[in-house]
Amino acid sequence: MADNNTTRQSPLVRRVLRRFLFLALIWLVLCGSEQASWILGLPAVLIAVLISLMLAPYSEFSFSFSGLCSFIPFFLRQSSLSGFDVMRRALAVQPDINPGLVPYTTFLPQGAPRIFFVNTISLLPGTLSAELHGNEVTVHTIDKDLAIWATIQNLELRIAYLFRIGPPVEVKK
Amino acid sequence: MDFLDKIGIFLITLGLPFFLSGTVGLLRFPDIYTRLHALTKADNVGLGLIILGLAFQADSWLIVARLLLIWLLVLIASSASCHLVASRAMQNKIKPWSSP
Repeated sequence: MADNNTTRQSPLVRRVLRRFLFLALIWLVLCGSEQASWILGLPAVLIAVLISLMLAPYSEFSFSFSGLCSFIPFFLRQSSLSGFDVMRRALAVQPDINPGLVPYTTFLPQGAPRIFFVNTISLLPGTLSAELHGNEVTVHTIDKDLAIWATIQNLELRIAYLFRIGPPVEVKK
Repeated sequence: MDFLDKIGIFLITLGLPFFLSGTVGLLRFPDIYTRLHALTKADNVGLGLIILGLAFQADSWLIVARLLLIWLLVLIASSASCHLVASRAMQNKIKPWSSP
């Protein structure tokens, strides 16, 4: 991982500036152009830039635009389905659940793709990421009869495409 | 009241049962993991529909962007905290409930 970074990392100033502008834009959208809001906003943005540099010094991955365009509808559809699914189970006369744990090994590299994967699992129908150790994800499912493995693998491949990561064979070293 | 307002009210009304069922799930499901399922998923869709409903009633595009951003931030916060609560429970060796 470290070897890869050195070749692709951009200078510190550029990274700080980019993150500052991104976070400032978020503040601007949230709080409007009210000038007084920056009394709180500016320190908040600066602290956020600092924390982001501490937690993730390099942004090693780039987004694929077409990956994003196909991911958003997929995600909206799946997360609505998961809302309906949970609603049906919660309101059934006898709560309709058959929970269990499913282990899954992901090929997604450490960092943004893996974190994104783990967080998105919890928003898909019937799955919740309970634990992450290295590349082993323990998924809690609300119904062991669901096709959990297929759902997660589909998500994993879409995230790989989103972050421009090659198929598993190429990632293995 | 114009057409967009009506769509807005319809979507907001549609979102409410999701919040209700999230809470019902929280009360009825047997353990911490299944309750997390109920809360994160149902509330996410409920909030999504309410945000969408409010967006239809918004006066400007800035408000629409603000609403979508709020939804996105809540989404990130809820899925991250859901994972953290679950992984803490796993660390503490809390066994998931399983049907008898």
